[in-house]
Amino acid sequence: MEYQDYYKILGVERGASPEEIKQAYRKLARKYHPDVSKEADAEKRFKEIGEAYAVLKDAEKKAAYDQMGSNWSQGQGFTPPPNWDSGYEFRGDGNSQDHSEFFESIFGQRAARGEARNTQFNLPGEDHHAKIEIDLRDSYLGAERSISLTMPTMDPNGRMRMQARTLEVKIPQGIRSGQHLRLAGQGSPGFGSGKAGDLYLEIAIKTDPIFKIDGKDVHVDLALSPWEAALGSSVALPTPTGKVELNIPPNTMAGKKLRLKGKGIPGKDPGDLYAVIRLVTPAANTDAEKEAYKTMSQVFTFNPRENMQGYSS
Amino acid sequence: MTTGSSLLQGIVVEEELHLSITEICQACSIEEEHIHAWVSEGVLEPQGRSYTEWRFSGQSLRRAKIASRLVRDLELNTPGVALALDLLEEIEGLRRQLQSQT
Repeated sequence: MEYQDYYKILGVERGASPEEIKQAYRKLARKYHPDVSKEADAEKRFKEIGEAYAVLKDAEKKAAYDQMGSNWSQGQGFTPPPNWDSGYEFRGDGNSQDHSEFFESIFGQRAARGEARNTQFNLPGEDHHAKIEIDLRDSYLGAERSISLTMPTMDPNGRMRMQARTLEVKIPQGIRSGQHLRLAGQGSPGFGSGKAGDLYLEIAIKTDPIFKIDGKDVHVDLALSPWEAALGSSVALPTPTGKVELNIPPNTMAGKKLRLKGKGIPGKDPGDLYAVIRLVTPAANTDAEKEAYKTMSQVFTFNPRENMQGYSS
Repeated sequence: MTTGSSLLQGIVVEEELHLSITEICQACSIEEEHIHAWVSEGVLEPQGRSYTEWRFSGQSLRRAKIASRLVRDLELNTPGVALALDLLEEIEGLRRQLQSQT
């Protein structure tokens, strides 16, 4: 188990006043709050900050923590001294699954014993939350996913234990990124005759190199040669569920969106798939290729900079 | 709670769920008074006339969850929550736009 230096985590001196501690916490909490922050390790940092503040804002916990001395450094191997915490009373504060092993060893067990006394009451179990990543194809076709979760569960003696479990979950067809699946009764068990909490799974669709998702619509860039675009053609267009033949009408311009109605994310009111036309021009390397471009320049009366006319250089 | 391999079928919160005030409080681990405050501030817009008839959509659930975390973690007041949620949604919209353009 590693020692947690709560003062260092909040960036305050050991002698900091409650006001200074609160201010340091608020500043860091705003910076790393997972709902607000886009920092890569926001969630981890936020939990550390929260844990540090939970201890340092509470006079009893802070006193117990300070009593262990200041000769420890962050991350150092740590074993609590026997009876180090005698004479301090702690209350549980719910989100125990978020705390470090260090915190659990010091404040966790007493918190769990505190909760165990509540078993004569009937309380509903807590809801749990997890995130699951799926492929765009899973949303098109529906899928089955096996997910592993570590959840705090209550053992027969009323202690919180972390237990790993695996669930087989049906991913419904047409689910979109940011939507949630509710699995009834899969959260924490209730106390007494209270019913179990639910498990909420947030769905995230992995970003795809070619398909861009916009709500229930899907966009895909389609590169065409100038002659395919000008003369019209039929090209193979990849979709999340396989290729389709797409008819390109003559004189299709760059930036034009060809809509495949109902080929977006499926559902009662399915989205559309858009092929966004991009033109790619080949380099002229051989004599014949140069000749072809020259012929074009003679045949066309075409000024690609028409919109710039009237601007002096 | 079961630990097994039977296939679990959930419901899509945003499309199929309509929560009462008791259910939304449980899902967010928050007291009813906050929900009342957010409804009168326009943060949440349930259907139904009186609070006993309120039905919250999955979209409301999402907003209520973020609001609950902001209140718990940053001790924001009700107008602060309303402002933060509107700004967060605007940022999310802009990010989505940016993503579909690149």
